[in-house]
Amino acid sequence: MKVSELLQARRKDWDELETLCVQFEGKSSARQMPATLTRFAALYRSLCADLALAEAYQFPPEVTRYLHRLVGRAHNQLYRSREFTVSTWARTLLFDVPQRLFNDAYLRLAFVIFWGAFFLSAVLATSQPGFSETVLGAEQMQMMEEMYSSPISSLDSEARGFMLGFYIYNNAGIGLRCFAFGLVYGIGGILVTFYNAVTLGTVFGHMSTLKQWDNFSEFVTAHGPFELTAIVLSAAAGMRMGFALINTGGMRRIAALQRAAVEATPVACVGMLLFIMAALIEAYVSPAPVPYSYKAGVAVLSAGLLMFYFVGLGIPREERQ
Amino acid sequence: MEGMALENHQLDTSIEIITPENVSFRYHVAGPFRRLPAYLIDCVLQIVIWVASSLLLAFVFGMAGLPSLGMGFSLAFLFVLSWFYGGLFETYWNGQTPGKRLMSVRVISTDGQPINGLQAVLRNFLRAIDAQPFFLFQVGLFSSMMNDRFQRLGDLASGTMVIVEEREWFRGIIRIDEPEVARLAQRIPPSFQATPSLAKALAAYVQRRMAFPVMRRIEVARHLAEPLIRRFGLPEGINPDHLLCAVYQRAFITDAPVDVERPANPFQHSLPAQAPLPTTGGDNPFAGLRGMERSEV
Repeated sequence: MKVSELLQARRKDWDELETLCVQFEGKSSARQMPATLTRFAALYRSLCADLALAEAYQFPPEVTRYLHRLVGRAHNQLYRSREFTVSTWARTLLFDVPQRLFNDAYLRLAFVIFWGAFFLSAVLATSQPGFSETVLGAEQMQMMEEMYSSPISSLDSEARGFMLGFYIYNNAGIGLRCFAFGLVYGIGGILVTFYNAVTLGTVFGHMSTLKQWDNFSEFVTAHGPFELTAIVLSAAAGMRMGFALINTGGMRRIAALQRAAVEATPVACVGMLLFIMAALIEAYVSPAPVPYSYKAGVAVLSAGLLMFYFVGLGIPREERQ
Repeated sequence: MEGMALENHQLDTSIEIITPENVSFRYHVAGPFRRLPAYLIDCVLQIVIWVASSLLLAFVFGMAGLPSLGMGFSLAFLFVLSWFYGGLFETYWNGQTPGKRLMSVRVISTDGQPINGLQAVLRNFLRAIDAQPFFLFQVGLFSSMMNDRFQRLGDLASGTMVIVEEREWFRGIIRIDEPEVARLAQRIPPSFQATPSLAKALAAYVQRRMAFPVMRRIEVARHLAEPLIRRFGLPEGINPDHLLCAVYQRAFITDAPVDVERPANPFQHSLPAQAPLPTTGGDNPFAGLRGMERSEV
């Protein structure tokens, strides 16, 4: 049989498959009729055979190229991306992530770096006169001092909705960026964590020396636990990726990175969720004109939730069969 | 990863995938000149979506007397849009965003499987580092220059690559209508079978010959035609271009003539005696025309 006759004979099937591809591209294979799916699979398999034949018997290159493209196209319609399932993600976030974090060296490292730098700069800000100004700059110090000079209860309650959006956009964005920067051999993550810790520590230290301390501490108490934990978590997730490039565990660097990235992404997502919860509290509880004990109660409650998540769910247990 | 046959001497951008049907096929990986327009289209679309939704939120919440909350939601939506636009589209549109669909590219795993939600989200999170410094994408560009699959850091970490998925209309194989070619095809010995490399060279020549002027065609075709003329025992002075077309015709389109009144064929006498002649249209595609490979380059 000559090539031209073969092409003539097979042409009808290829055209049919092409039509089905167009149909599948508009409407995913999950929602097609079973008969159509079977027909698609059958046509695809025979197309694969045709491609093998074309390669072995040296069909003209334009025919082979056409077949390669059509196989690629049909392949992508037959094998589709797996969509999110709530149960998988719930299991990952509530079971896998805390279990993994309980023994995570990078979480400890991020924790030590963050709180070490935080307390160090807080102490320096209170004891060394010029320190805060060097770190924060005179302008920002002025702004902070003005912001907390009036009592919390007198804050404009109109702006809360806007602030909620702003906190989510800004803080959760910082968290995800911190995660992404961790990829650079972990150094990016360390730098960002260190920078955040020094800035926050200095602000805390500096404010504690002023008369605005009461207003300031009243404002930051409620959302503090979630937000500070979220920063450390995002940094730890980034470092896990970055350090996998150095400590490969005997694998190729890229393979080590891929494995670490799969583990780190849900952690970054937990960090993001914490940032969003912190934003909700920061917008609606922290500036609310309620007694301080309520805000302290929210802080205690959120700290308790975090303890439950990291220790209660995280403590190593045997995998149920 | 390991299942992929990726040769080190790869010079073009094609990537081989082995399907579960145990057939290997090739993709072209998409380079920066396809991915940048796709990204820019997505950026414009993101801005349009955000502006439109902000106006809608401002209107709805303004009517409800909560303009501040409307702005808050619009900022929160901006966060979702800027960090999850790509991840969600690539998950639910099988590796494509609107921009990627317009540019005919698709994200797939390096082993040829479709991507899953985690990979889609991860590679879009890591765009933050690929876009450095200052959204100039130098990090991503450098990273994609350093590997065979144009993978930016986000692709490397999530084990994905971006491939070109172009539609191509099947035009059938090229046919030659010139009567001289048809006549010449009759004179080629019936025992002739093109070797794979000869077939490839013929197809490549016929595909491109129309781009050359007549004299240039002769010049190009001569190198392959002259040994063929000697082999077939055809008279000198046959147009080399027509001869190659005729051989192409015989290799791909028509069978050897079965009529008995064709001119005497000196080629048959010059064949070595021990070589049995393959029958016309026989099963063995590799039979015939040994020793031709040298002159095909």
